[in-house]
Amino acid sequence: MNTSKRKSSLDYKIVARGFLNNIVWIIFLLLMITFSATIYGFFTVANYINIIYHSVFIGILAIGQTFVLISGNLDLSVESTAAGSAILSVWLVSTSQYASGYQLNTWIGFLAVIALGTLVGAFNAFFVVKLKINSFLVTLSSYIFVRAAAIWITGGYGMQGLPKDFRFIDMTRLFSIPLMVYLMFAMFIFFEFLLKRTRFGRHVYIVGGNESAANSFGINVDRLIFKVFILSGIVASLAGWLMAARANGSVAAMGRGFLFEVLAAVVIGGVSLQGGIGSLVGAFAGALILSCIHSALNLSAVSPFITNFIQGILIIVAVSLDALKRLFR
Amino acid sequence: MNSEQKKNVLLRLRNISKHFGSVTALDKVSIEIYEDEIVGLVGDNGAGKSTMIKIISGNIAPDEGSLYYKEKEIHLKNPSDARKLGIETVYQDLAICNNLDSVSNLFISREIYKNVLGLSVLNVNEMKNRAKKIFDKVGIHIPSLSEKVEYLSGGQRQAVVLGRFIEWGKKIILLDEPTAALGVRETRKVLDLIKQVKNERRDASIMFISHNLQQIFEIVDRIIVMRHGKIIGVRDTKKTDTDEIVSMITGAIFVDKSTR
Repeated sequence: MNTSKRKSSLDYKIVARGFLNNIVWIIFLLLMITFSATIYGFFTVANYINIIYHSVFIGILAIGQTFVLISGNLDLSVESTAAGSAILSVWLVSTSQYASGYQLNTWIGFLAVIALGTLVGAFNAFFVVKLKINSFLVTLSSYIFVRAAAIWITGGYGMQGLPKDFRFIDMTRLFSIPLMVYLMFAMFIFFEFLLKRTRFGRHVYIVGGNESAANSFGINVDRLIFKVFILSGIVASLAGWLMAARANGSVAAMGRGFLFEVLAAVVIGGVSLQGGIGSLVGAFAGALILSCIHSALNLSAVSPFITNFIQGILIIVAVSLDALKRLFR
Repeated sequence: MNSEQKKNVLLRLRNISKHFGSVTALDKVSIEIYEDEIVGLVGDNGAGKSTMIKIISGNIAPDEGSLYYKEKEIHLKNPSDARKLGIETVYQDLAICNNLDSVSNLFISREIYKNVLGLSVLNVNEMKNRAKKIFDKVGIHIPSLSEKVEYLSGGQRQAVVLGRFIEWGKKIILLDEPTAALGVRETRKVLDLIKQVKNERRDASIMFISHNLQQIFEIVDRIIVMRHGKIIGVRDTKKTDTDEIVSMITGAIFVDKSTR
């Protein structure tokens, strides 16, 4: 069959590609080791827990974004859906004087949040699928008006004061780790299974890889895109719910900047902006990397503006690594 | 002529027309495809061959006319309807997803799964085992089944395409320029495979589009010639030659009223 010489050159390429595919985790480990060794206060249990804690919101947003990206689209509205959901649920449930005054049951607030996520997702999908508008443009507009609508309806005030059953997911700790962290892990495991091991997930990859082939084979691409955007919307609204729980309320500007962090996290984690490529394992690593860099910068009393600068550099590094992979074709 | 009448008509197109704006891609086209035959479809670019394939495979609906499967009228609303009847198409551009491995590509839209708590969970092992058997039948070796197709050679990618047609080509198999993107050795494999499938499946029909008349004359039983959206004529391969076919393609011979 193959001569041993040919086999070893093929193996080398496969190994090189496998290495580059998982390089995010290696980078994460290297960063953790470097920071632990050089930054005072980094190498503590409390800080390590903090790093994972800080990755929850970006991590969960990254789940929805990964599905959308793999399908060949982009969802810029996730930050606003999250913020809008936080603001909406607080407005409905909170005891604050600036809230609606309805002081509804926590779980009605939760349902409202899920409904909002579904609505935004369906809205996005409608324009992408039926009017064939680029998802960048559609979700850019929802990014702008969803938060604006939430602020407009609720008056734009910061609101504080949520009942215990709203906050339990943050206040309850298991081994000093907030419940929402476990929720994030559970979500990653479930959605990675959905992506890699179910027919739906496989079709997401197919549509992202070759949409016309998907059509030719009778895959209902329109329905799939609707599902993907709605999934992203619901996941984002869930993230917003958790944000409100942690902050015990909401402010109009909450979550500002999350969009770029999410995009940075998924790109660093190997999800391609072109579509068809990536996994949640990588996205999770990306979120952790961003979080540990946040922590490192905080603890070294470095200017907060450097954070954004570093994020930008990370994206270019991640994209370059992806390009490098193509060299080992 | 008489030997054809003993075979059943598997697919019939009657007065099929299709327009794209002011362009008439198909103009009242009527043809029959019989069981157990390979029919070749030839014609210059713009003759309407691709449009006809798209209509038969359910990708496009005709503007006028009707389709009959085993003499019963059918309406194909999408490719799935066509596939349910056993119509399998091998597309010119291979319809391959570079971001997935060969097993996944083989099973696109035909994934093996079981329903677990409302989710359609893929049976990855079963697909891998079936894929190995299919690739063995095709006769092309793929070194790593979990390698993305993007990194495979042209011949290995073709194995995926051929695997689909061998495994799932049931009643009507449409081959749209299947060797267009291939080298000499791979082309030979494809042609041999087509002959093999034809011999094994006595109840299927194969429609073979090609610009290469040498291939056409080697493989097909009947040749349908198209020009400017119309059927110029249909000839028994044994009763015609390259010159006549070329003349029909280029228009040196006028529209032929007979269909044999």
